[in-house]
Amino acid sequence: MVDAARQSKIDLRAYTEVERVEGFVGNFKVTLREKAKYVIADRCNGCGDCSSVCPIEVPNYFELNIAPRKAIYVPMSQSVPLIYSIDMDACIKCFKCVEACGPLEAIDFSQEDKLVTEDIGAIVVATGFSHFDPSVMEEYGYGKFPNVITSMEMERLNNSAGPTAGNLIRPSDNKNPQKLAFINCVGSRDKRFNEGCSNFCCMYSIKNAVLLKQMNPKVDITIYYMDIRTPSKGYEEFYDRARKMGIHFTQGRPSLITEDPETYNLYVHSEDIALGEVIEHEYDMIMLNTAAIPQPDQNEMSSVLNVAQSPGGWYMEYHPKLRPMDSPTDGIFFAGACQGPKDIPASVAQGSAAASRAGRILHSKEWEIEPTVAVVWPDRCVSADGKSCGLCSKACPYGAVDYAKGKAAEIITAKCHGCGACVAECPHDAITQLHFTDAQILAQMRALLAEEPHKKILAFRCHWCSYGGADLAGTSHFEYTANERGMRVMCSARMDSDFIYEAYRLGAGAVLYSGCHPQDCHYITGQLIGAKRAKRLSTIFERMQMTPGRFRIAWISAAEGDKYARVLNEMQAVLDNMPEEQLLEEIERLKPEVTKRLRRFPNVPGVQEAMDFSDTMVTAITTKESAA
Amino acid sequence: MSDITGYENEEPRIGVYICHCGSNIAGVIDPKEVVSFSEGLPGVVRATDTLYACADSGQKLIKEDIKKYNLNRVVVSACSVRMHEPTFRAAVAEAGLNPFLMEMANIREQCTWAHGHDPDGALKKAKDLTASAVAKATFLTPLDMITVPVTQKALVIGAGVAGISSALDLAEQGIETILVEKEPTIGGVMAQLNKTFPTMDCSI
Repeated sequence: MVDAARQSKIDLRAYTEVERVEGFVGNFKVTLREKAKYVIADRCNGCGDCSSVCPIEVPNYFELNIAPRKAIYVPMSQSVPLIYSIDMDACIKCFKCVEACGPLEAIDFSQEDKLVTEDIGAIVVATGFSHFDPSVMEEYGYGKFPNVITSMEMERLNNSAGPTAGNLIRPSDNKNPQKLAFINCVGSRDKRFNEGCSNFCCMYSIKNAVLLKQMNPKVDITIYYMDIRTPSKGYEEFYDRARKMGIHFTQGRPSLITEDPETYNLYVHSEDIALGEVIEHEYDMIMLNTAAIPQPDQNEMSSVLNVAQSPGGWYMEYHPKLRPMDSPTDGIFFAGACQGPKDIPASVAQGSAAASRAGRILHSKEWEIEPTVAVVWPDRCVSADGKSCGLCSKACPYGAVDYAKGKAAEIITAKCHGCGACVAECPHDAITQLHFTDAQILAQMRALLAEEPHKKILAFRCHWCSYGGADLAGTSHFEYTANERGMRVMCSARMDSDFIYEAYRLGAGAVLYSGCHPQDCHYITGQLIGAKRAKRLSTIFERMQMTPGRFRIAWISAAEGDKYARVLNEMQAVLDNMPEEQLLEEIERLKPEVTKRLRRFPNVPGVQEAMDFSDTMVTAITTKESAA
Repeated sequence: MSDITGYENEEPRIGVYICHCGSNIAGVIDPKEVVSFSEGLPGVVRATDTLYACADSGQKLIKEDIKKYNLNRVVVSACSVRMHEPTFRAAVAEAGLNPFLMEMANIREQCTWAHGHDPDGALKKAKDLTASAVAKATFLTPLDMITVPVTQKALVIGAGVAGISSALDLAEQGIETILVEKEPTIGGVMAQLNKTFPTMDCSI
């Protein structure tokens, strides 16, 4: 902590939040909210005279609310930086602090939050985790029985810098407990709350038990556990040492805690798996080892950073084995428990690993990005003829389209992120996306639907999320119909209505329109544009009386492999439930209608060539296949 | 603007490589069947299978073939683009081809791994995905990566044990680093802990 404050290259901004992140690798613009402290940082010397005269006391979150702090406070005496701040919700404006501060004149009631913008090359996200609130588990009586506390609360009571100066006492009568129990997996490995293991709690409870036993060898300690997980270096040896010290380990998840209303002692009702018996034991005090859960603002931060979350809410890494520190956004990295529960050694290691990943970029003067940007054919743009349009500019999430009536729209390459929204929205087919041109996409579709198209499900997926979801379905070996034929574009915003009409014109059995969830979009609002278009298409197909389910919209994240497999299997079921003749009849009936709506023109550069080529391709495929 | 029409008037000479990925692909389908299917597709002048396309031997095969068969497009039917697209782009670039003239078909994650229950269906799909990649490859155009400047300054969000460690490492490498913490003090959960394993010393 102190090192971080001393390092001259570290600009420490405490009491500051990240409000907005814009830009891209090497060129992020980050807006920070420096919250008002009502204390001038440069003048405050951390003497604390202000705090000692402050008449207001409120619970101190740092002490898990078991000790008070003043309205003008530092969370703990070793705070870094040691600068006081005023909690305005608690302050009664008696101004005693101003008087106590005297000639330093460090207190400034007129301070306001300040928004500052910083140019940043790479970002490491290390926002940590939060603790599960066990009061929702009525069976353990937390919040009702005073002597049932969490291990974090015990941590403060047992800490020499804590509210009792390290004297562990029971809240009911301030006596030192002699018989204690720890309960592991409270809210974790529990299908009602959090399915996952919290990773560090086994070692955490053993550490706490060993510390208590060292301080007072007479104290009787039992740890209730489901499994003891001590896989890292030295961990098993530490567990062994705890057992040799006489700490009891009972395998079984307690089902109930009851209290003696006279003594406030507690009874743990559990199964002892080793004995195969139901047991009941009395304790002075019980500590709950609660689950590690994502931060309460993790969803919000995920939108600010444009990164995805795994099931359970943790940040989702680019690849679980090969790129564990990388977010899917180039230039943003994860470290520590924000990506999933981790202990201290793992978090420190990840901090270094993320620094190394970010360093690759930050030590370079230039960085390369994909050239899959949009380009305008000026002669096709109606704006050049003085007509009003500007749909491209309206669709662009980045303001990368230079649009003005009287001249052809232009894409500012440095600002373009390559989502393809403007390409699909342009009613005059005057824009293309490099590496994802209409010609390329149409040629791919024709090849995929060359044979028995009515049996096939053409699945449009965005690169970042639903294509990743399909990958995860495969990696997890979630089986789904082999009639799926996947198409990949960068964003659902690129999924032109024409592609969907063309798929049905070619006789596709079903079409999937899928991308990320709205808050996960890599292109800020790209998904919203895709979703709006998909909804419109859905209404049109409904009006055409297309069998429901032959056009499906699904938002699937890169973490939802199971969902990808399920959606595809459900679509297959729709086709399976239709007699083949009925399906073929419907496809034929709708062909003229979808053809009517197709606005792709053979004079769009490349499209005619793609069509001609596809005829050859289809012949080649069908000949090959009938020979096989 | 012929360079952005998506179609260059250059006769495509496409090489198609079907990866076994050990038994990951070849355990479900016979890659040789995809090879013989690919041989008849328009523009394909070379089609073959390889045990591991991503291995040195696989990359060497592709690089040598580019010269030997004068290939101007390459299709690799193997794993996900999220896995090895950079590998194969680099390989074709080493052989003098523009990296964007390489197209992948995902016949592992999105085919054999997901359709182990239906090998016939998986084989059909692997052929279609390969044909689709050949179709796209036909219309690929050479592209250059876009170079952007880098602001040599880092932001670390969160000053718990991971964030502090990250910020210190960056700073000690000489990089200006902003370390942001939403609470009034840094330290995170670690600062609230008493002694910590394995050193059993103060965590601050």
